[in-house]
Amino acid sequence: MTGMDEKLKEIFQGVRAQEALKERTREFLVQKTHGYTKCQKIKYSHLVWAAICALFLLTGGSWLYFMPTAEISIEINPSISLAVNRFDRVIAVEGLNDDGKKLASSLDIRFSDYMDAISRIIESRDIAGLLSENEILTISVIGPEGKQCSRICGSIASNAAGHKNMYCYFADSDEAKEARKMGLPYGKYKAFLELVELGATISPDEVREMTMRQLRDLIEQLSGETTDLKTRTGGGCGRGGHTGNCWKVQENNNGNTGQEQT
Amino acid sequence: MRNEQEVNRAIEQYADTVRRLCMLYLKNHADTEDIFQTVFLKYVLSSVSFENGEHEKAWFIRVTINACKDLLKSFFRTRTVSLDEAVERPDLILPDHREVLEAVLSLPEKYRDVVYLHYFEGYSAPQIGKILGRNVNTVYTRLARSKQMLREKLGDDRYG
Repeated sequence: MTGMDEKLKEIFQGVRAQEALKERTREFLVQKTHGYTKCQKIKYSHLVWAAICALFLLTGGSWLYFMPTAEISIEINPSISLAVNRFDRVIAVEGLNDDGKKLASSLDIRFSDYMDAISRIIESRDIAGLLSENEILTISVIGPEGKQCSRICGSIASNAAGHKNMYCYFADSDEAKEARKMGLPYGKYKAFLELVELGATISPDEVREMTMRQLRDLIEQLSGETTDLKTRTGGGCGRGGHTGNCWKVQENNNGNTGQEQT
Repeated sequence: MRNEQEVNRAIEQYADTVRRLCMLYLKNHADTEDIFQTVFLKYVLSSVSFENGEHEKAWFIRVTINACKDLLKSFFRTRTVSLDEAVERPDLILPDHREVLEAVLSLPEKYRDVVYLHYFEGYSAPQIGKILGRNVNTVYTRLARSKQMLREKLGDDRYG
């Protein structure tokens, strides 16, 4: 193969890249790399993306914390609403009427656990005074049906068992929207629906001005259900709706507390 | 990304090697130019740090062969290479050289690169195995088989 080796070398030596081909390739590379600056652009864009990611992580964390996932509406006469995040922390407190606004501003419950916040509201002088006067307190949990709302409802129901005249409702966001449209807190909205169902001629404005005790008395008067309330017991947090359940917590004849369903 | 000066140096240094490898695989100038440009664009964008010139040359050989094979995977491309289409000026090739080159180009694809790398570039079988990512014994077998086929095509008497 010696002759072949030499011949192949001579042949391949004769095959060369033409200058025109090299020149076209140089032009192609300049064009493709935008004059050999593409790398800087890529690095710049990487920096921009890194900054966006960092910003996203920072804002995303805040967004996760400050995004409300459930609302707890507490109504007696002062009405107050708590926005709760996915970590069960109260991220916003809003008074739903003048008394509620006064109460909200007097309490430092933001960022506390929702159960602690509810306890402090119930134990506040105004609310405790009203409860002792046999006023009715409703606690509505508003949010999507899921683990968190179920857990909040369960906790509130079991804790409310030690208090008199407390109602606990669960409402989904659509029902809450309807209540807001009427300008009523959810507990009063529920009472309004019950009254309408019982044939009462009453406007949302009138309902807004009444206390929960007055509303509950009117419902009981129209439905004659006082007797029933005192004879049935139950537990848990009821699902709201036109014909839905509502759980009442009150002392029974034996002096013990129990939850009753209407 | 590599700078323009570095790329121009590489073009001067490896353009002929890339061109010769293209000739072994591709049947027309348009494909050759495509591969030629693709290989050098890969070089521009590559962040590989070469240990020495040999390492860099081996990279060019490997990338060129792979690019040619990728192009040939297209169903519509024929696998045989005719001499008139493979080189720019076939009329300038000596008749004796033409016969040998045609014999090389008529070899099955897998034998052409080992013939080029061994007979022209002077790589040993283990070096070729490393560049092409093949077993050394496979390279030895292909070299022996290609020698045999070239002898058969060109005649034992003239190339013993």
